[in-house]
Amino acid sequence: MRKKILSAMLSLTMLCTALSGCGSSAAKEESKAPEQNSSEARGSEEKAEANAELEGDITFWHSFTQGPRLETIQEAADKFMEEHPKVTIKIETFSWNDFYTKWTTGLASGNVPDMSTALVGQVSEMINSDAIIPLNGLIDDIGRDKFYENALNELSVDGNNYAVPLYSHAMVMWVRKDLLEKNNLEVPKTWDELYEEAKALTKDGIYGLSFPCGSTDFQATNFLNFYVKGAGGSLLTDDLKANLTSDLAIEGINYWLKVYKDCSPKDSINYNVLDQATLYYQGKTAFDFNSGFQISGVAANSPDLLDYVDCYPIPTIKGTEQKGITTSNQPLVIWKNSKHPEICEAFIKTLYEEDTYVKFLHSVPVGMLPAIKGIEDSEAYKEDPTIQKFAHAEEVISSQIPGGTAIGFEHGPSVQAGILTNQHVIEEMFQDIITNGTDVKTAAKEAEDKLNSLMEAATQ
Amino acid sequence: MRKKYFASLISHIYLLLLCFFAVFPLLWIIISSIKGKGELTGNPTAFLPKVVTLEYYRHVIFDLGFIVNIRNSVIISLATTGIAITISALAAYGIVRFFPKIGTVLSKVLVTTYIFPPILLAIPYSIVMAKLGLTNTRIGLVLVYLSFSIPYAVWLLVGFFKTVPIGIEEAAKIDGANKIQVFMQVVVPLVAPGIVATAIYTFINVWNEFLYSLILINDTSKMTVAVALRSLNGSEILDWGDMMAASTLVVVPSIIFFCLIQNKIAGGLSEGAVK
Amino acid sequence: MKTRSYTKWLFVLPAVIVVAALFIYPIFSSLFFSMTSKNLIRPRYSFLGLKNYKDILSDPKFWAAFLNSLKWTVYSLLGQILVGFTAALALNRVKLFKGMYKTLLIIPWAFPSIVIAFSWTWILNGVYGILPNLLVKWKIYETAPQFLTEKNLAFIVLVLINIWFGAPMIMVNVLSALQTVPQDQYEAAKIDGASALQSFQHITIPHIKLVMGLLVVLRTVWIFNNFDLIYLITGGGPAGSTQTVPLYAYEMGWGTKLLGKSSAVTVLLFIFLMSVCIIYFTIMNCWEREENK
Repeated sequence: MRKKILSAMLSLTMLCTALSGCGSSAAKEESKAPEQNSSEARGSEEKAEANAELEGDITFWHSFTQGPRLETIQEAADKFMEEHPKVTIKIETFSWNDFYTKWTTGLASGNVPDMSTALVGQVSEMINSDAIIPLNGLIDDIGRDKFYENALNELSVDGNNYAVPLYSHAMVMWVRKDLLEKNNLEVPKTWDELYEEAKALTKDGIYGLSFPCGSTDFQATNFLNFYVKGAGGSLLTDDLKANLTSDLAIEGINYWLKVYKDCSPKDSINYNVLDQATLYYQGKTAFDFNSGFQISGVAANSPDLLDYVDCYPIPTIKGTEQKGITTSNQPLVIWKNSKHPEICEAFIKTLYEEDTYVKFLHSVPVGMLPAIKGIEDSEAYKEDPTIQKFAHAEEVISSQIPGGTAIGFEHGPSVQAGILTNQHVIEEMFQDIITNGTDVKTAAKEAEDKLNSLMEAATQ
Repeated sequence: MRKKYFASLISHIYLLLLCFFAVFPLLWIIISSIKGKGELTGNPTAFLPKVVTLEYYRHVIFDLGFIVNIRNSVIISLATTGIAITISALAAYGIVRFFPKIGTVLSKVLVTTYIFPPILLAIPYSIVMAKLGLTNTRIGLVLVYLSFSIPYAVWLLVGFFKTVPIGIEEAAKIDGANKIQVFMQVVVPLVAPGIVATAIYTFINVWNEFLYSLILINDTSKMTVAVALRSLNGSEILDWGDMMAASTLVVVPSIIFFCLIQNKIAGGLSEGAVK
Repeated sequence: MKTRSYTKWLFVLPAVIVVAALFIYPIFSSLFFSMTSKNLIRPRYSFLGLKNYKDILSDPKFWAAFLNSLKWTVYSLLGQILVGFTAALALNRVKLFKGMYKTLLIIPWAFPSIVIAFSWTWILNGVYGILPNLLVKWKIYETAPQFLTEKNLAFIVLVLINIWFGAPMIMVNVLSALQTVPQDQYEAAKIDGASALQSFQHITIPHIKLVMGLLVVLRTVWIFNNFDLIYLITGGGPAGSTQTVPLYAYEMGWGTKLLGKSSAVTVLLFIFLMSVCIIYFTIMNCWEREENK
């Protein structure tokens, strides 16, 4: 009897392993399937299918998890489905952090969407793991010259555009005008001025400036990058290695440590972007660095403060003009696993139709600036009351957009730049210095080595 | 006599103190969830709300559709519990009655599976579920949950079934009942309290599960409460009021549930697995 | 006779099939991947033999995480037993309000980990939290204490939260075991002139020893494997000071995407827990044999 059980279990085991074996080899072949020709093939395919009726289901993952943005995208999808009755667009939303877990796990198991939003730093990883397809045809369709060159370039490799920028924003310094006025302070132009003022304003339950270095986000990298890039430096060397030990970088690290010590709530060591921004939304910080999203955040949390919110360019060491600006262009990508890239493309195209597009941008006024030219001068776009009220802020931000790139992208798009932001090594470095009292140069060297080895592993 | 009185006084003080710690977080999330906008962050040390509002509940239930997530969790937990308990009760009885020798080995194997770190299983499961086309489905999640529910339930139930005297079964057999009938009509009623206790353990474990549902479910309308709650934390505006209201919605029903069945849980281990 | 042997299979087969189906693939794939250079998001990989294991065992971060895991498990377990046990003894003594106490005390057990995380991070939040702000207001601290962001404090607070959550389960089970102790034994001991401590040692302890043993096994496995609580409350920070082995494995698998190494970590974790359980069970078997004598 016992032998029978054994043999039954054994055969079951073998069956299972055999099955799983088949499965994985099939998956491997699949992923090796057509690579290069897809972009050309699809160009012609699309023309052929332009007349044919679109049919099929697509899944769209995006990270606009709440409120008007979610609704406008849903409306656009509903409208598209109405026009193409045989198409179903299924929208699933995740926070940015979960999104990263989702698509990486999804790629391992073959469960990715047809199209999605992404973070700029992740696009190069997606390209590197051969997960998304070029969208040259789509961009030509919408009008290549309508996009800002910088925005397109940072999403392209070898002349292929792997993503379309949906909207743009630039990082600027946010201030609380009322607090400055009350304390007779000017808007700071240099980093030292900023530190002094932030320190002076840290009282009565208000913090001057919070320095976030939670290890689930890349905020510390972002902040360090402001310092280094604004002075014409970079966190990457010209041959794409991490560079945290340059004099400039060390100076920047020390600067932010000083800010953490004197102007920041101590819990900010664990803050992500949302924790950080919420402080400003609640009126708990006097200065902050972010994009135009601050406005809608303040409007939702403490509408009384709206009158005192404004932004200026990020300071520099000497108060001169910045030599490098950090911007972000929100990419939309189409996944290689998609059975219906043509539907994705057709749908994305409708998002750029002026009515839809303006409505989408208005869902976070000033927070999302147009990624295509000509929109910002249109009457429809200017009609929004928030955009009118924050004309100065809008001007400051949009003046930064054409010259900026994402973190590390000043050397062009690269996997290395993605690793700078995605692996949170710089955040851990700051935590190590703050928590364990590690010497700054030692910690910087260690972090640099770690980043370099990760970069090496990723590009092998 | 005085000594006894003193000891019970100490006990009362100790228990009151513990009760305070046990209840405070619950109390505090409920109070926080009904405070007016701005009060939450404006005055952190104020205990009672100045303005009482149900606005956060309205937002969580109607705008964020949280009821759907609660329903999902209920469906998934009930389904898992039902399936796991049926399969485990059969197996536990089988082990006790028919395979006592292999049984000890088998229950060791089952305990071993309980030891498997969920983190080890997460990726393989996501791969398997994708191949079966069950990613993003409640069925997929229920299947995965069986992986930790069944071993645990069998292990507990074996103990309960051991308490059934074989004499009663023999008597039933003489009356002409077959094995299945004996099991259903004689044994199950006898160990019903144990089965209920095990079912409750299973239900709680499933209800609280986080990692697998984070990884396997994408669709907001299929998310369990644990993951839906977490997504509040990652949404675009960090609103503690919403988070507190949603937490209250999740936790209050399970507390009521707990209170109703507390005497049954108590039986759990001591009557069952030990003997 | 033949038919009989078929029916009895019907009882165990469903469980055997389900468990086998659910575990065989994950176990083999983890074992396999732990010996490869598998990356989470890239299809190609090569066979490395035991290199991953060597790398991990020589990684100081792994050992730091392992030490954290041990501390986390031992402290939490001892705390849970201490609080749960004493609470049960106290409950067993009082008559008035017993039901109310019991009901209130099991409340933490009903908290899903995400709600535990929300409520405690809210209470302990350095900017908005009631506790740090009260401590400052009462002038006990000058600035808000960093309950979750200062490395030593964060670890202690995590352990305390875990005790808060886990003690009720111990309490409930110990209490019901206490109630199975026959009262006449105590009476008899009293007549024999035994002190309260002696009767506790010779009557109470033997009766609840096995329940305690079992609880310890279950809790050890649960606490050691626990991922949610720490992940949701501190995420392993600051500077890895609260990172335990499951978080280290997660970081390896999803952060750096080295699935191969991550699998190796979890295999090691499993082997360790397995050995701990074998030790536990050996001890418990001894107890059981003693009892049967």
